[in-house]
Amino acid sequence: MTTTVFLQLVTNGIAQGAMYGLIAVGYTMVYGIIQLINFAHGEFFMFGGFGALAVYLWIPPVQHLPLLAALPIMLIGGMIASVIIAILAERFAYRPLRNAPRLAPLITAIGVSILLQQLVFLWYPQPGGHKVTIGVNAPVQFPTFTGKPFHLGGVLLQRADLLTVIVAVICMAYLAYFVMKTRTGRAMQATAQDPDTARLMGINTDRVIVVAFVLGAAFAAVAAITYGLRFGQVSFDMGFSAGLKAFTAAVLGGIGNIYGAMVGGLVLGIAEQVTTGVLASYHATQQWGTAWQDVWAFLLLIIVLLVRPQGLLGERVADRA
Amino acid sequence: MTEQVPEWGASDQPPQTPLAARQEEAPTVNPAVAKALVAVGAFASLVSTFLAWTWTSSFPGDLSVTGYPGGNQVITLTVSVLLILALGPAYGVPGLRWLAPRGYVWLLRGLALANLASTWYILLAVVIELNGLANWVSGSWVALIATALPVVGSFLLPDDHHDAARARPMPRWIQAAVILVAIIIAMFVADYGITTGFTEQFIGFALAVGFAAWGLNSSGVLSRLTGLTAQNRVATSVAAFVAALLFVFLQTSDQYNTIADDILIFATVALGLNIVVGLAGLLDLGYVAFLGVGAYSAALVSGAISSRYAHTVLPFWGQILIGVSVSIIAGVIIGAPTLRLRGDYLAIVTLGFGEIFRIVVNNLNGQSGPDLTNGPEGVYGVPDLKLFGYDFGASHQLFGVTFGKFGNYYLLLLVAMAIVVFIFARVNDSRIGRAWVAIREDETAAGAMGIHGYRFKLLAFGLGAALAGFAGTINAHLLNTVTPDQYLFSASAPPNSAFLLAAVVLGGMGTITGPLLGAALLYLVPAKFEFFQNKQLLLFGLALILMMRFRPEGLVPNKRRQLEFHQEEVAEAEAHQVVEAQPEAEAVA
Repeated sequence: MTTTVFLQLVTNGIAQGAMYGLIAVGYTMVYGIIQLINFAHGEFFMFGGFGALAVYLWIPPVQHLPLLAALPIMLIGGMIASVIIAILAERFAYRPLRNAPRLAPLITAIGVSILLQQLVFLWYPQPGGHKVTIGVNAPVQFPTFTGKPFHLGGVLLQRADLLTVIVAVICMAYLAYFVMKTRTGRAMQATAQDPDTARLMGINTDRVIVVAFVLGAAFAAVAAITYGLRFGQVSFDMGFSAGLKAFTAAVLGGIGNIYGAMVGGLVLGIAEQVTTGVLASYHATQQWGTAWQDVWAFLLLIIVLLVRPQGLLGERVADRA
Repeated sequence: MTEQVPEWGASDQPPQTPLAARQEEAPTVNPAVAKALVAVGAFASLVSTFLAWTWTSSFPGDLSVTGYPGGNQVITLTVSVLLILALGPAYGVPGLRWLAPRGYVWLLRGLALANLASTWYILLAVVIELNGLANWVSGSWVALIATALPVVGSFLLPDDHHDAARARPMPRWIQAAVILVAIIIAMFVADYGITTGFTEQFIGFALAVGFAAWGLNSSGVLSRLTGLTAQNRVATSVAAFVAALLFVFLQTSDQYNTIADDILIFATVALGLNIVVGLAGLLDLGYVAFLGVGAYSAALVSGAISSRYAHTVLPFWGQILIGVSVSIIAGVIIGAPTLRLRGDYLAIVTLGFGEIFRIVVNNLNGQSGPDLTNGPEGVYGVPDLKLFGYDFGASHQLFGVTFGKFGNYYLLLLVAMAIVVFIFARVNDSRIGRAWVAIREDETAAGAMGIHGYRFKLLAFGLGAALAGFAGTINAHLLNTVTPDQYLFSASAPPNSAFLLAAVVLGGMGTITGPLLGAALLYLVPAKFEFFQNKQLLLFGLALILMMRFRPEGLVPNKRRQLEFHQEEVAEAEAHQVVEAQPEAEAVA
């Protein structure tokens, strides 16, 4: 294995990890405030992808624009789709269970996840020729960049990968500004620390929780578009494994910590690519390569939980009963 | 108990003014007239089932025969008979008052609605499927009006809902006999549901059973019956076992035994999951992977033709031992690091494990991994079981009844389920079960009481994995193949993790009957309704959300669990009681 090949793996890993990080932010914000693993977050991500695709397919002028110009319009479509779904899920599924035993909202989250996946599976409208076909049970094609990748030394940098990293940096910078500098952001921090006291200080905690869901969903929509651009397709079940990975990233970085989510995402992305790449490059370990990628990510999660359950950036917090 | 009814009326009068006000608003109909309406309607609908409901026999079930009931008319007939029986308490017929310990009006309403719904549904289906009202004959009109009368009559009766009087003590053997009869009746109802041949029949059946169950529940018969079963648990178990045995003797062919086998294996696994989720409160989202681990381990040493160890053929008990121990090892590997942490981590790690299991068995195929599980094709050719010279794959004559392959496995699965039920009941009643409940409600407090939380949680998780492994061993033989696709998080056929969780949640967490009922419902409804074929997962997701929102304790609630989920309402009700009690206290002072 040469240095160039290794750097190539790291580059791929960074792009992959930036996407995981963008999704993980949503998990970690919601978890930090209401201690709920929102299993449906992967489906918010998926809705973002299909929302963007819908704008692209159903508004013909968008298809004639250059892709870079069309992307912002698609992004708005994706964000609207995922944010509306997130608000509805929060309002009608999670909020009524705010004071229920822990198991109840978790089961609800599973239910929301299955429901959303099946909604797209059964009724997503697809323009196909003259008649509209209903339901997507196979991956759907997503527009991709046509230009050649950039060369950095011997390392190939795909256009979509570069865009993913840039977008992730912008998003994280905005999030840092939002959480640190704005009133709502500070209210969010206060709610995460102690919801009851925050409410006594005049913070509308219900609103803060909705904002956390909305931000998470919007970031997930961004991630979904980068996913579509990089892999050239979206599918109704892409939220399942992407959500699992992103949650692993959130735990890796320290759940509840938004910077941790991005760090965890990058670590996971790089670890995944490097492990499979290195294993695949030697004859003796060749068969343990690509097909086993998810298994190595899962092992990493188990090891982190065993060795450093609070995550890389997390502090050990007392268990709030 | 019957003597105490008038006493109740005297002692428990509600406050005078509101009642008087309500009586003025309500339409005043002589109760005798209303009761007569119910009676006339019930007898008329009974008679109508012996008439033809349509002239052509092209409607499924043949409703065109005058002289005896056919097809869905049997359902109407049965409900009408029940309705006539329910008139017993209404007219104070001695010997029938036990039917309505909490008041007969709601019993009448439930049964009348059951009759109306199932009959009108089928009459409507005749119109729609055969195109037009012309397909009704005079019998249809009789049925239409006859089933409406009891509904009108029963809703005109004034509400007589009251607390049940205490049950009269009965000798033990009578209690046992009552339980046996009740369970056998339930078995016949379930048998009818499983063997329904066409969609209309099942929908009519489901409508009738649903409304009738509601009526029986409101009248207090069901709670009296559950009181009896709670006092006679051994008798109940024996009766349930006898009734389940009866099912297989009722079958003339193997056709419906396959459905029954699937329900049994689904219910057994759901019961195992209920130990983990219902008793210990640990959300396991990859439970079906443990079933898969057990099935694969057993299949590999069963002498299956495509097994890598085809020459290693262990006896059945050896396979169970292997299946169970490999499952436990997997459970401990997953559980040991995660159970130290908050419960949420377990949910996501088990979800991941379910996914990883699929990837691993897909890749252990000799090309993208070591050769062990034969990849996506799986281990096929698992031989049928042979126990004590009894070949489960062949047909046998037992007591004059032919047992095909699935009938044989039905017997085996029944034994397996009995074992799981026994383990569940014994563990639930033991020190361990109480420790689990304590941990589930408040782990910190449980720890302060000296309960080692981690150890007990790992025990629950390991026991759950072991039971799944056990069921998996049998499943491998029943299906003769083990493939990765059988063990997914969500798929269109049970058992998979989403179905199992739905069965437990729908039925009732922490109970034995809950998951059995949940599994039967979740299997039968999609199997019988063509409409649901590809929408079942959607409906399951919706069901999970709605159940958690409106009835988190499930259809068959566990008392303690119910209190946990409705803590706020219970506290509120208690506060009301205190407030209401205060004026009285002042008056006394």
